[in-house]
Amino acid sequence: MRRIFMIAGHEAECWLTHDGSRFVLNMPDGAVPCQLVPTGAPGAYVLRTGGRAHELRLAVGPESTFIHLNGSTFEVGRVNPDDRLAGREGTAGGDRLLAPMPGVVVSVAVKPGDAVTEGQPLLVIESMKLETTLTAPRDGVVAEMPFTAGDSFGLKAVLAQLTPQEE
Amino acid sequence: MRRIESHIDTNAADYKANFAAMSERLKEFHARQHAARFERPQRDIDRLARQNKLGVRERLKLLLDPGTPFLEFSTLAACREYDGAVPGAAVVTGIGIVQGREVAIHANDASVKGGAWYPHTVKKIVRLLDVALENHLPVVHICDSAGGFLPLQHGVFPDRYLGGRVFRNQVKLSQASIPQIAIVGGHCTAGGAYVPTLSDYNIIIEGTGAIFLGGPPLVKAATGEEVGVQELGGAVMHTSVSGTGDYRAATELHAFALAREIVSQWKRMPKTIIETAAFEDPYYDTKELYGIIPKDRKTQFDMREVLARIVDGSRFHEYQPDYGTTMVCGFAHIWGFKVGILANNGVLFNDSSLKAAHFMQLCNQNRTPLVFFQNITGYMVGREYEERGIAKDGAKMLMAQGGSVVPKFTVIANASYGAGNYGMCGRAWDARTLFMWPQAEIGVMGADQAANTMADVKIRQLEREGKQLTEVEIAAIRDPVLEKFRRDVEAYTSTSELWDDGILDPADTRNALGMSISAALNAPIDDPHYGIFRL
Repeated sequence: MRRIFMIAGHEAECWLTHDGSRFVLNMPDGAVPCQLVPTGAPGAYVLRTGGRAHELRLAVGPESTFIHLNGSTFEVGRVNPDDRLAGREGTAGGDRLLAPMPGVVVSVAVKPGDAVTEGQPLLVIESMKLETTLTAPRDGVVAEMPFTAGDSFGLKAVLAQLTPQEE
Repeated sequence: MRRIESHIDTNAADYKANFAAMSERLKEFHARQHAARFERPQRDIDRLARQNKLGVRERLKLLLDPGTPFLEFSTLAACREYDGAVPGAAVVTGIGIVQGREVAIHANDASVKGGAWYPHTVKKIVRLLDVALENHLPVVHICDSAGGFLPLQHGVFPDRYLGGRVFRNQVKLSQASIPQIAIVGGHCTAGGAYVPTLSDYNIIIEGTGAIFLGGPPLVKAATGEEVGVQELGGAVMHTSVSGTGDYRAATELHAFALAREIVSQWKRMPKTIIETAAFEDPYYDTKELYGIIPKDRKTQFDMREVLARIVDGSRFHEYQPDYGTTMVCGFAHIWGFKVGILANNGVLFNDSSLKAAHFMQLCNQNRTPLVFFQNITGYMVGREYEERGIAKDGAKMLMAQGGSVVPKFTVIANASYGAGNYGMCGRAWDARTLFMWPQAEIGVMGADQAANTMADVKIRQLEREGKQLTEVEIAAIRDPVLEKFRRDVEAYTSTSELWDDGILDPADTRNALGMSISAALNAPIDDPHYGIFRL
């Protein structure tokens, strides 16, 4: 798995290898031999790469490393590639809200024509002694709210309809 | 493992209202717990001082390793019995650390009715010894009891899980090579005499401790013999003449130091190895649970938000995230121990039941302990679901759950109604520990449903007799039933009756589970095997 670092708001992929005599920093556009030598002072190192030596100081935090170099401080965030890549992409919700089970409408929060945002409560239903709030699957405009408070409905009944999204 | 992404807004009005409601409940809970532990009538405190005895809480301090946690069980046992006059059922039980070893502790509380055994006392002691048996925990008994409470002897003595079970469990512990020690800091009379005598080791405190089958008054009544406590069953007689006692201690301090020395001699058995990770606190603040649990029990909430405030690093690997979504299943770590979690996000449907059964089999296969978070109003009812075989799928879930060989732990986080309680490892299903949150409810059905059902039956019966009832008359039938049911399903009733191992402040749940899991690993885990699944 690739390693991912967050530098100044951008994701950077790189990984370190050893060629038998020295470390090599690999990046998508090439590889650079490098060497990091501690000076003895706490957190102080000399970075040798490309024929030059840079003095720097490192502070390692739980999620990122801070590098003090040439009078400036840089934060390099470490991103767990498993977390980053296994995280689910937000999928756009559909137009219709279907009843997850038969029940009764307790209250309706919006009416046709209302603009709603994703996650906004549309109506509250009751079934099996539980009140469940159903929310907008995406940003949009309410087209239809077929039920009012007190109405009962069956499994997979359409409880709310948003106007179709324009392509 | 990925961190759960919380969607809780701690500034939202709902959150704040929930937080305030839970804080109010917890204020009451902590006050009741404090009273049960420490508040006693002055005459009882004076009596202990006169007898030159320490209180049970001081004794525990002498016994336990300093700075270590003590997982106390059922602090509010019997809180709704005996007019509230027997706090904690006159006994303290729990899991504590002595000389670096996890031990089960049974300690009579002589500041309550002289430590007499009431029916709930017996239930609490038997439960503790069951915990010791299931988890292979050595037992420390601190004996100081007036004996069985005679006016209620039918609730103390004859049945299978009453008094005799205490001693039967002691025998079974010994048979399983699980050591026991008894410190006799008061009288052990009649049946009580078998607690120290069935222990591998016992210590009698001079002057206050005594063991006899019949105390001086009973001896006098039976045979006319007049004999004093010390001659009949004191420390000197038993440790030098009868051999009933092993060690005599000059003071309480001496007794507990000796007890700790004896415990340190015991062979330490290797613990069962399961998957572990480095310990990590939850990323989200545990106290936010107060704002997440709705103040109205009927309001649905996302259990993932709860898990995010319980498990290590708030990290959770969810299994089958898009299937049977009312049943949240997945892996996490608690105190570094890998666990499989089953948590309710709604009613159990066919798919959610199948998912639960499959997940439990996975966990048994790789020896991962199971943790259940209950908020369950039941399995779905109705023609559609019966046709799909909801009863059959529920049976599969029960077969997998009841047949699990890995240790199970249950938290009743909100509702626990009907068969859902069974599927989610309710009391009858051998959870190693089972705790309840203070606002949680348990019953065959909710109080409103039960009251309405019972009132309907009564109303129809009266209608058949030709009586037409007014609204007021109907309310007069329903309301008292409703009131009784509301009280019956409360967590305080459950904990009073020892249907759980105690009520927890939700913020303490993580630590209670961590200690429970750690203790459970003292016992080996069997190879997985099941009964027949109705496929």
